[in-house]
Amino acid sequence: MQAFLDVFDIYFLEAVINGILLGGVLALLALGLNLIFGVIDVTWICYAELVMIGMYGMYYLVQYYHLPYWAAAPLVILLVALLGAALHFLVIAPLLTAPPINQLLATGGVLFILQSFATVAFGIDFRNLGIRLPVLALGDMNFSYARLLSFGAALIGMIGVYLFMTKTFTGTAIRAIAQDRQIMSLMGVDAKRIYLITSAIGGGLAGLAACLLVLQYDVHPFVGLSFGPVTFLICVLGGLGNFIGGFVAAFVFAEIISLGGLFSDLEWGYVLAFAFFIIMMFIRPAGLLARRS
Amino acid sequence: MTAKKAARLFAALSVALATLGLTANAEAQENKDKKIKIGVIFDLTGPLAGGGSELQYTGVKIMLDHYAKTGVEGYKVEAVYADAQSKPDIAINEAVRLLEQEKVDMVMGFFSSAQCVPVAARVDQMKKFMWITTCISSGVFDGKNYKYVFRPQASGSQYGMMTTDFIAQNSVAKFGKEPKDLRVAIIHEDGAYGVDVSKGNEAGAKAAGFNIVLKEGYAATAPDLSALVTKLKRAKPDVIFHTGYNPDITLLFRQAREQGLKFGAIVGHGAGYGVYEKLKEGLGADANYLFNTDPISIWLANQASMDKKLPPVIKMVGEEFDKAKPGVAIRSAHVGIGASNAFVFLDDVLPRAIKKYGGVDPDALRKAALDTDIPEGGTMLGFGVKFYGEGTQLAGQNERSFPVVLQYIDDKSYVVWPKSQMQRETVLPLPAGTTYSYK
Repeated sequence: MQAFLDVFDIYFLEAVINGILLGGVLALLALGLNLIFGVIDVTWICYAELVMIGMYGMYYLVQYYHLPYWAAAPLVILLVALLGAALHFLVIAPLLTAPPINQLLATGGVLFILQSFATVAFGIDFRNLGIRLPVLALGDMNFSYARLLSFGAALIGMIGVYLFMTKTFTGTAIRAIAQDRQIMSLMGVDAKRIYLITSAIGGGLAGLAACLLVLQYDVHPFVGLSFGPVTFLICVLGGLGNFIGGFVAAFVFAEIISLGGLFSDLEWGYVLAFAFFIIMMFIRPAGLLARRS
Repeated sequence: MTAKKAARLFAALSVALATLGLTANAEAQENKDKKIKIGVIFDLTGPLAGGGSELQYTGVKIMLDHYAKTGVEGYKVEAVYADAQSKPDIAINEAVRLLEQEKVDMVMGFFSSAQCVPVAARVDQMKKFMWITTCISSGVFDGKNYKYVFRPQASGSQYGMMTTDFIAQNSVAKFGKEPKDLRVAIIHEDGAYGVDVSKGNEAGAKAAGFNIVLKEGYAATAPDLSALVTKLKRAKPDVIFHTGYNPDITLLFRQAREQGLKFGAIVGHGAGYGVYEKLKEGLGADANYLFNTDPISIWLANQASMDKKLPPVIKMVGEEFDKAKPGVAIRSAHVGIGASNAFVFLDDVLPRAIKKYGGVDPDALRKAALDTDIPEGGTMLGFGVKFYGEGTQLAGQNERSFPVVLQYIDDKSYVVWPKSQMQRETVLPLPAGTTYSYK
């Protein structure tokens, strides 16, 4: 019994809180992807690469143009929002009625284009923003402000998106179009405009994630590989297009990784998280918070 | 002499002259066509590129460019480069493509052990010659008995054991603890490279009698290492032996700082630890006093005890590197490793293959490699070269190679172990007041 209780030490608590903070990072990433899938019904496989471009934007604005972080962040969010809109206009819009596999392949192609573009334009070196935020110390536990910021941004982002979707006309139009693409066009809603706005918001959320991730990770052309697959899994686990489901799934996934890694090898944390994902796909294929039909 | 006879004589002479001319032309053409085509494979894109692969490529390319101008024993040297994109499957495909379609005579290079292991198996199966300049996993050779694969580079287990020897020999003097009381943690990326070095760490730690409080692997692309850091905090190691690439090294240090991990020393093993510029950019002042176990940087090696032909080559490599990458504070050891190991082939093995074994076919190159017998001090990296022979456990591996332990102090790199190569006294454990110091 004592041995069992010994497990619940300060390090256990630290791992739990670190899991929550990692969940914040993953939730932030999943938010934009979920929005786009929920409305446009297209999965941006290249979503993490948009984040990567945003991270490079932050790096260059802060390191080369010496803009303060707080001034660079809105510019980057705007830049990636425009990139998101451009992605929709150039790649997604022509494929809206194409089979899903074509859409996936197209966004997959954009992924490789963005990686290659970054390699050619920015080089293969790892770039570091050089900003080191202080650490929050609580007794023997220490927590990163960068992660706390991500957690806060994810929370505010989700509430913001929720309010936007429920309290504004555009948000209502977005939800309506997500429910029935054809009918809304017949009722006079400009579907093209709504898609463009949604893509820009999704891009903007990727930009927001970039602003926060660049405080925690080095930037390189392939940084998206560390996040892309996990983000996609979280969206599927939460139910593609379900914001709250994605938010919850991010924290569940992160806690399994964190606590699994604490009690066993770090790799086992990921194995357990992926095993959980597979099991849930059998039990709740439409996502954690999906209603049973 | 009748006109008829004269005509016959003229015709005969013409034929003879033409034959001679043709033979001479053919010989000239043959000399002109004599060349060795070398396929060079490194990671020029993907995460490994910035983790040291591109620097190794630069070192090899400097050497190949040099020999492309001079040639070797009348043979032209032509290089064909390929990008493995940090992926083992691409490395295999590129090796096969270069050998079968580009018709290269051999392949050279390879940064990642995860690529070396399968590529070596494939190339040997094809009975083609492979010269590994960089990757270190013992798994490439251990028990494989390859005939056509050779590596002058030190092996992973040598890396792992060198660091534990360094700490064991300094345990009492620097930590004030007997080795059995010294708490050590072994952490590593979970690819062939990290696993192999960690095995060397573990064997060395057991031999030294260290108290191993944690041994754990992780994926180099993992987006979060906080659970590992928490476990390290719980284990309270005096020394951490770490094998990683570059993004994961920076992530580990960043999360260690954020979570308040303290220790006496962390000793890295090549790859990301060999690129000081990036460590400095990512960690700032925390890069000070870090250790890196690698072959010695050719610019730090003791040139007085070296073969006299080598210092001018080192100078040439340095000048070419500075042209390629101006303004680098510490010339990375990676460049020197690539250049030196390519030089061993071009300066020693290849001339012998041509002169003694008559060409550059895989068997001639193999025989020439097996004849290699360079004493200590005969390479730019300080060690000698002699390959374990066929039928031995590590056939193809250089039995005379060894890494050294380097320490970065105030933006300079010093050899601090072994004693025979030592350039200054090590700073151990981390000085009080530094970010990770447990003092």
